Parts: sequence; structure tokens; C-alpha cells
Amino acid sequence: MGYQIVDVDLSRPLPEVRLRPDQTGIGLLARWHGRPVGFAMQARPAGATLSPAELAAFASQRFALELLRLRAEQALAPRWQRAEPPAPVSLTVAICTKDRAVRLRRLLASLDALRAGSRFAELEILVVDNASVDASTREAVAAFPGMRYVHEARTGLDFARNAALRAARGRLLAFLDDDVVVDPHWLDGLHAVWSECPDAGGYSGLVLPYRLDTRAQIAFEHFGGFGRGFARIHHSPVKQGNRLFPVGVGVVGAGCNMCFDRELLLRLGGFDEALDTGAPLPGGGDLDIFYRVLRSGRRIVYEPRYAVFHEHRETLPQLRRQYWTWGLGFMAFLVKSRRSDAAMSDKHTDMVRWWFAHQLHTLWGAVTHLHLQHARFVLAELRGGVQGLFGEYDRSLRRSQVIRERAA
Amino acid sequence: MSWELQHLDLRGGAAPVADGAAPVQVVWWWDALPVGSAAYLPAELPLGDDQLRDLAARFAAEQLATRLPTFGGAAAPDSHGRPLIEPALDAVRDFVDFAAVDALAAPAQADASALAVIVCTRDRPQALAGCLAALRAQRRPPGEILVVDNSLEGSARAVAGAHPGVRWLHEPRPGLSVARNAGLRACTRPLVAFTDDDTRAHPNWTAELVDAFERHPEATAVTGLVLPAALDTEAERFFQFDMGGFGSRHVPVRFDARFFAANLALAPQVWRIGAGANMAFRRAVFDRVGGFDERLGAGAAGCSEDSELWYRILADGGVCLYEPRAVVDHHHRADWRSLRAQMRAYMRGHVAALLIQHARFGHRGNLRRALWQLPGYFLNTALDLPIRRTRRARGIVLWEQLRGWASGLAFALRPGGRRPRSY
Repeated sequence: MGYQIVDVDLSRPLPEVRLRPDQTGIGLLARWHGRPVGFAMQARPAGATLSPAELAAFASQRFALELLRLRAEQALAPRWQRAEPPAPVSLTVAICTKDRAVRLRRLLASLDALRAGSRFAELEILVVDNASVDASTREAVAAFPGMRYVHEARTGLDFARNAALRAARGRLLAFLDDDVVVDPHWLDGLHAVWSECPDAGGYSGLVLPYRLDTRAQIAFEHFGGFGRGFARIHHSPVKQGNRLFPVGVGVVGAGCNMCFDRELLLRLGGFDEALDTGAPLPGGGDLDIFYRVLRSGRRIVYEPRYAVFHEHRETLPQLRRQYWTWGLGFMAFLVKSRRSDAAMSDKHTDMVRWWFAHQLHTLWGAVTHLHLQHARFVLAELRGGVQGLFGEYDRSLRRSQVIRERAA
Repeated sequence: MSWELQHLDLRGGAAPVADGAAPVQVVWWWDALPVGSAAYLPAELPLGDDQLRDLAARFAAEQLATRLPTFGGAAAPDSHGRPLIEPALDAVRDFVDFAAVDALAAPAQADASALAVIVCTRDRPQALAGCLAALRAQRRPPGEILVVDNSLEGSARAVAGAHPGVRWLHEPRPGLSVARNAGLRACTRPLVAFTDDDTRAHPNWTAELVDAFERHPEATAVTGLVLPAALDTEAERFFQFDMGGFGSRHVPVRFDARFFAANLALAPQVWRIGAGANMAFRRAVFDRVGGFDERLGAGAAGCSEDSELWYRILADGGVCLYEPRAVVDHHHRADWRSLRAQMRAYMRGHVAALLIQHARFGHRGNLRRALWQLPGYFLNTALDLPIRRTRRARGIVLWEQLRGWASGLAFALRPGGRRPRSY
């Protein structure tokens, strides 16, 4: 049970794809001269062979219009290019990691390959070791000359992110999780979106699956994944047609691949350390920072060329747990923001109502269509939501205080 | 708060500007092509150069893919009448002539003397005056303009008389279908277009309709884009955004026998083809399939006299082409009371049309739609109410739709209700 990820460039002749006997489908990532055009999955008989013609038929149906759009963009771009490119800017890429040296090394290798082609004024790569138990993280970083290592003794992703914020020297600060690998065009994509939208407060990027070897990984991608499409999206602080925005901030992107104006984060007081504190509340910090950047009046721009590959949870229990953390993290974020942002409290209340109604709706759909696995994911998310709504943020505030005191 | 409506030409690099706190509804044009619509809050403006470029690229791709023979021309509709735009990959890969979109976007030059325009009206002289003024300002004047006056006293005579070249015809028997059929009998041109008295046709409307028939010899009927003329009141905006208005597709869509056959199981959604406020036909088709069903339409069951005719055309093997280049602006119901009545009438007419279609053709999908799918739609809408922004308004409209549904069933099921009537 697994899908083969097929990475094809539509500007070249398409290959023949042979699935292994244990593979029952493909995840087709299509590009045009390297630029991602689309991603789609399709079930196939185990061990099947897809001829170039079959691949082309699938790609026609799913990506041809998107490709035409992209080619039109390239052809027509000169008509809309007016603004002068801004003066070069420096970038710090921060990776917060804990006890995952193997994956970290994989990520650093993918980043290392991009350093030579950087168009940023300066490029700093900074690894924040979030209280790993042994020296393997430090050793992994040492294997790449010129990369910085910072140790943060207080456990919690947002303690680590704030450590990066203090240590970074770049004017832009990009965050990557340690379970991703960057696409070869990641750095160029970030540079392109920054140079065309230099006033934005933040940028988010495309997240594609790194592998689809297990049922959980396929299910994750099938039920939405992290991807936000293959066209740029400007998220302004309010949106016509989305009354609950930016309270419903999840559409903006994912914390595993995001970038900010560092000055702005410092002015906003950095990340909320009570979120993402590990086991009891392992989420919400990315939502919180997206929300506060938008509420400060700045845009966040989503750019598909700024792409990473994310290693999804491997087993179904792990994936169910992740759904649980989404419900938990989102509700903790709502409880917190309703308190700290009184002007929006009506929208927060509405969002809670909308969220539960929406989850119940999804649950109803999953049950009536006999998608029991999906129903269990939704139940896990609902359980997290209830727990998050009732006191988890306050419990987490106390926990983060304990962590601070212990470290002091 | 009244919304601002802006018509902007992307080609010229025009960008929407907010004036005050009200949202801006933008209709994006590429020369004579309406390519998209979008609403923006003042805080979302101004748009960046990259946003304008991305909009232009998306719109250009959609227009090229549905207008160039290289990519197969007009889109096929899905079961909901939405365009399926699936150009062949090889054609996209090899394509180079992106400037072709400029040529596609030039206004049609067709001569419109072969076209008769029929406007049916009933006691709305002011609206009619605006409608006629727009028709007389067409860049290509139609061969004839016919006002069918459906009022008892002939109240539109003075207004029609004030416009030279406009023929006035009195049809006192009430009913929009009756009036339209009277217009059909009286007109003499091979092509005939209908619009309502509450519309304003864009200056190239007639030329674009005739051009569509010339470019598509297979098309029996052509429908066009109906844009909101104003979004000043809650009722107008509710109709446009919550109920979908008269559709907002900006690419040509070809409805044919294949669409009809593929969707018979749940009644082909012929009402997605267009709106009676902006439709045209080859006159010969009426000899083959008959005129408008006089049991349907305003003044009778409520509406759907237009879609029921398209149903017969498709069943007969004809082709209905939706061509958004032919544009009229429509004044939606501005007050809540008339909107409620309209939504009730729409549902009533819709259900009556389904039962009439079933009686005429024996297609059971019409019954499934009326008795199974529609109640499901009501239930889903009701379940969705708690999480809607406009839950109160939508709840009221849902109630009106339920009433309309029941009365539509009663209308068509009454003794003799489904017996065919002569046109």
C-alpha cells in the first residue's frame, strides 16, 4: 500500500512509470521548467505501468489549464511589470529541531545545494537545537560549514522560534520544520514573492508530500493536505466573502514553511511561548503569528514556487493524533485571541460556532458515505477542539511558566 | 451601505479604487470580453502589479482555452452547467501565440439587421424607457425592435411611441409566455432575441449575439451574461451573491444532446443555460419545437418558461450556446418584499416546469429532481443556516422556496395542469 510520487517536467517528454508491486497509485507532481504546476493523486492497480500517453491524459485533465495560465503569466508579464525591484535584502533561514538529527541532515543538505544560487544580499542558515538529549543535532550542523547552531534549553517550539528571532541577523526570517526538504526552487520562489511584494509582513509557501508510502500519508493528502494551490494568493488583513477572516487563519499556510519581516515579529513581541509546548498542547503557534501579523495591518502572501516537501505522519494513530492537535491548537488559539483582541471577540465567538458546526457537518458527511476512517479523524479533531476550548490555553500558560522557571 | 460597481479593462492596467468604506464589485474586461468578476473590501486595495498580472494570466488562459479551435473551443458543461476547461496538454505545451487573446477580445462587427429584439413589458413604463434607450444605442442596430405590451390598458404605448423605429404590440392576455409568443408571431427576422424591460443591453449586445450565431452555425439558441446593474440594497446583493444572481460564468459553454443525455437521470439542469433576460434563438426552431409554454412564466406558474424551451431544444438534438460576450445589465429586485415574492415564484415555476417536462417526455429524472433532490436541497440549506452570515435572510428565502415548491406541485397536479396547450 503506497503511492509512487512521480515528479515530471511537462516541458520535456513524459516518462513511462512502473509502479512497484506494493504501489497502488501515483502522486503526480507536474512542473514547467522547474516551476510547480500541479499535484494530483490517482489510484492504479498494484504494479501497473503507465505509458507516457496515459500520464499525458491524466496531466491534461488535471493540469493543462493551470499550465496554460502559467505560460500566459510568463508571456504577458512584461505588460504588468512596472515597479522597480527593491534593494536587496538579507535572509535568515531558521530550523527549530529536537532529537531528529537524521531528518535535519536531510533538510540541511537540500538547503546547502541552494546556497550558491542565492539572490539574497546575505543568506544565513540557523539551527535552533531545542534541548535535544544528545549531541547528534550539533554534529549534524557541524557537517555543513557556515551554518550556525544555537541551543535553546527551554523545551517548546515557540521558545525555539523566539530564540531564532533573537539570534537571526537577516531582515527576513524564514522558518522550516525539521521534517521537510526544500524544493530546488524554494529560495528563488521566496525571493520572487518578496521582490514583487516587499511590503508584505509575511510569506507562506506550498507544502507537498515527501512520500506517500503508507495509508496514513495518502489519507492525509487525500483529505486536504497542506497545499494551498498553485497560484499566488494575497491574504490581506480582511477579505471580502470571508467574514471570519483573519480569525479563520488556517487558510494562510502552515508553520513548517513560513517567512516574516523580522522587525515586525520583534515589534509584535515574537511567538507566544504558551503555544506549541509539546505533548499537551503541540500546536497553534503558527496560527497565532499569522493572525497577529495580519492584525497588525500587513499582508501575508502565499507563493507556490516557495515549496517544501513534508514528511507526513506515517501511521494512522499518529495521523489521528495530528488531527487532535489541530482541533486543540486552533481552539487554544481562539481562546487566547478572543482574550487579547477584544475588537474581534464577536468574530471569535462566531468562529467557535462555525468550527463545531462545520466539523459536525463533515462528520455527518463522512458517516453517511461510510468513510469511517475519515470520521475517526474528524472525531479526533472534535475531541481536541473541546479540550482546547475548555482551559487548555490556561493550563499551557502555567506549563510554560514552569518551563521558564526551571531553566532560569 | 451601497456597493460600488466598477467596470475595468485589465488590458489598460486599470485598477479598482475604493471610495469610502463600501466594498467594490469589479467586472473585469479585456476589451470587449467580460473575463471575470470579483468583490474587494477597501482594505484589500490597491491591488499590486503582480495581482493584476495573475488575474490577467488566469483570465487570458480561460479565454484562450475556450475560444481557440486549437484547444477545442467552447467548454462542455458539467452536470451543474459549470464549464469544464480541459485543453489537451500537447496543445498547451506547443502554444506560443498568447497575444491572440487581444484579437479574440475585439468587439464583434457583425451586422444585426437579421435580428429582431422583443421586449415584453407590463406596467413599468420607466424601466421600459431605459431598456429601449439602450437598445436604440446599439452599435449595430437590430432589424426590428418590438415591444409587446402585456398590460390591460396598453400603458407602454406612449413610451414605445417616443422611440422611432420601435414597434408596439398590445397583448392583453396576461402571461409572459403569452406575450413572448405574440412577439414571435409578429416578428419577421430569422434571428430573434429577448430581453426584459428591467435590463440595459450593453452597446455591442446585438452584434455579439449575431456574431455568435454566425460563428456557431450549429447553435439553435444563444444566451449571454446578465450582470447586476446595481448592488445598492441588501436585497440586490442577496440575490447576486447568496442566490448566485443569473450566473457569473465568463467563458462560452456549449450545451448539447450529450449534456442532455448524460444528465437525464436527475433532470438536465437546463436552467443553468442562461436567463430569459438575455436569450436569442433561430426563429426556425419555434416551428420545430413550438413556442413558450403558456402555463409557465411570470403571470402563470412563475418562471422557467425559458429553460423549459431549452429543454425541448436539447431534446430535439439542438445546441444552446452560452456566450458571455453578449452582456446585459439587470436591475435585481431592490426591496426585500419583491425579492421574497420572486424567490417563491422561481421555485414554483421550476417545479411546475419539471412536472410539465416529465409529462411531455416521460423523463423520470424530472420527478426525482422535484420530489427527492429538491427536498434534499431544502434540508441541506436548513442545516447550513446556523453557519451562514445571512442566516436570517436565507431562512426567510428558504421558507418562500418551500411555499413555492408546494404551490408548484399543486399547480401542475391540478386537473388538466399538465395537459399540453397550443402555442
